[in-house]
Amino acid sequence: MSQTTSTRPVGVDLQESEDSRAVVEAIEADNPECAVQHFPGLVRITSPQKLRITRESVEERLGREWETHEFQLAIVSYFGHIKEWDDDEIIIAWDH
Amino acid sequence: MAVRAIGEYKFPSSSRQELYGDDQLVHVYWKHNMFICAPSCFRVPKAMPWSAFLSEVVYPVWGQDPDFDPATAQFAWEVDDASISPSGDQSLESLGIGHKSLIVANAA
Amino acid sequence: MAAPRKLSMKQRYAALTHDLDWDFSYVDNAEAYPYTTFEGIKIHDWSKWEDPFRLTVDAYMKYQAEKDKRLYAVLDSFAQGQGHLSLADAKYLNAMKLFLQGVTPLEYQAHRNFSFLARHLNGPGPRFAALCQSQDELRHAQTEIHTLSNYNKFYGGFHSWHHQHDRVWYLSVPKSFFDDAVSAGPFEFMIAIGFSFEYLLTNLLFVPFMSGASFNGDLPTMTFGFSAQSDESRHMTFGLEAIKFLLEQDPDNVPIVQEWIDKWFWRGYRLLALVSQMLDYMLPRKVMSWKEAFELYFEQQMLGGLFKDLEYYGIRPPKHVQHAIDEKEILSHQVYWTLYQFSFAAAFNTTTPDSEHLQWLAEQYPDTFDTLYKPLWDKASRMVEGGGRHFARALPQLCQTCQIPMLFTEPGDPTTICQRHSIYEGERFDFCSDGCKWIFDREPEKYVQAWLPVHQIYMGNCGGPTVPDVLAWYGLQPGDNGEYAGSQEALDWAAWHTTSHAPAPTPVAGN
Repeated sequence: MSQTTSTRPVGVDLQESEDSRAVVEAIEADNPECAVQHFPGLVRITSPQKLRITRESVEERLGREWETHEFQLAIVSYFGHIKEWDDDEIIIAWDH
Repeated sequence: MAVRAIGEYKFPSSSRQELYGDDQLVHVYWKHNMFICAPSCFRVPKAMPWSAFLSEVVYPVWGQDPDFDPATAQFAWEVDDASISPSGDQSLESLGIGHKSLIVANAA
Repeated sequence: MAAPRKLSMKQRYAALTHDLDWDFSYVDNAEAYPYTTFEGIKIHDWSKWEDPFRLTVDAYMKYQAEKDKRLYAVLDSFAQGQGHLSLADAKYLNAMKLFLQGVTPLEYQAHRNFSFLARHLNGPGPRFAALCQSQDELRHAQTEIHTLSNYNKFYGGFHSWHHQHDRVWYLSVPKSFFDDAVSAGPFEFMIAIGFSFEYLLTNLLFVPFMSGASFNGDLPTMTFGFSAQSDESRHMTFGLEAIKFLLEQDPDNVPIVQEWIDKWFWRGYRLLALVSQMLDYMLPRKVMSWKEAFELYFEQQMLGGLFKDLEYYGIRPPKHVQHAIDEKEILSHQVYWTLYQFSFAAAFNTTTPDSEHLQWLAEQYPDTFDTLYKPLWDKASRMVEGGGRHFARALPQLCQTCQIPMLFTEPGDPTTICQRHSIYEGERFDFCSDGCKWIFDREPEKYVQAWLPVHQIYMGNCGGPTVPDVLAWYGLQPGDNGEYAGSQEALDWAAWHTTSHAPAPTPVAGN
């Protein structure tokens, strides 16, 4: 447990659903180091240091407009700190 | 440390002895007997003799353990961390058993 | 004419929260916000409070409506399709009875106190976040009640949860936990519920419940759970922002916040003892063991992640955390063993684990189960084979702080019950652990008021002196309590799955 911000993982749990499938794919594309695990009804994505969710990437896979607010419909839980949540991206990372 | 409050903060205990009249609550724990999941709490008269306390209150409860036989049971007793050697006619009060005292039975 | 420019999220958030705030000219601030000074917390600049969600009232309504729509579509189809018949087993519902009786009323309490914060915090950012959370918590209470009311048509134990929350012995554990939080000041409440419960421990409560529901065929519960959890992520953020805000505002806040973390970690952890047994004993199809859940959601994510972050502010992990870690191999077994013996007085059923279940427990807990707990179950099974059933014959000694029966053992000695006590104003008070004793000793004036169910029964305040009197006062109906094998529920379930007749709802008294 002597990890620094650069290696301590952050993560997010999403509902397993049609819409979140595109979100998961977008996250995998935007975060090459992330790991995806499946639990009953849940998808858990963890990544060292930081996790980015970008509107552009999700829209590309969904084939429709997607506001970052919509992420609220998919998210079940997370660990880390929500550093940024604006029109274009959501970033989960530790502060220190 | 005192409670930080917006005004005076002083309330009586909800379990104080006076609420039980001439009775008191006592706790009894059969040490290491895991079959009985937790120590028991009883309401009993302070003047109750030790022998009656065992035969009428404690032993019937311990009968929930099918291996318990009151006829042959042998225990060393402690009250609030001190050993006692009770005789049957002594009252709970005279044995130093107070409100919410803990009586521990160590199987011999 | 130029088309009106759409505001960005940041601008919309600023316009709809901070820009709508005003300073009072006609009343002193201290009079307008009377509750934000007495706890000793120093706030210099409320505008430093940030809400990373940048949620505004229009977006809030839009997405909450969508969440509700999705949930109610599932509820309808489940009810129309006799979904309850596809549960893994009727005994799964014992977990949901406990949830409805123990957790749903807490959602309502949370609703009330967050609406208090929405009025009484000085800053517009946290006030609006508290208002949203207050609405969320009300939604959670309502959707949980709606969802589980479907089961009330066919199964016992769901009919009087609200009444029981205020009366029944094991429900005094969650009730007193929340009473403790709402009777504290607003900042302590934020650390107690917003941070310790919603951020530190919520995953241990909700995620196992919801994955358990998913795995055991309970679609509606899974859906309300996920629907609630999507709000929960916002609540976690609120809790985390709250703690960072307090720590950044003044160094004098650090020791106060640390003590609250120490207190509320232990309060919350003791409450989750009920969840531990649910995971290991109540779910017919297992999702993960308590030990695994604790390691994943608490040790890795919180101790390994969050507390490294908080170190920066001078915050260390909770005072009694090592004790919790040491208990992970024994906790659930001790708790279910107790519920098993006292379920004659509970609004759910318990039963002896079958051989497959015992095998699973031995695999999950290789260092403790077969040596410490399996012999107890073997003995209980022998009693059942002989036509008996191991039920407790006396009321248990309770911990003055967490109100759980004194079932926990001495650290490092899993066969001796841990006993701690304090003398306050000449009266003895008992505790299950160093954590609960420490909490009492900080604020004895608060905890001497505890409404301990056992003591109240002995005072004659719970319906009368006999067990049937008390059970009647609890609102238990025949079949709600006791052994599951041979219960009405077990018989109904078997009949519904062996005949071609559709079940008719059993008329259930109560509300």
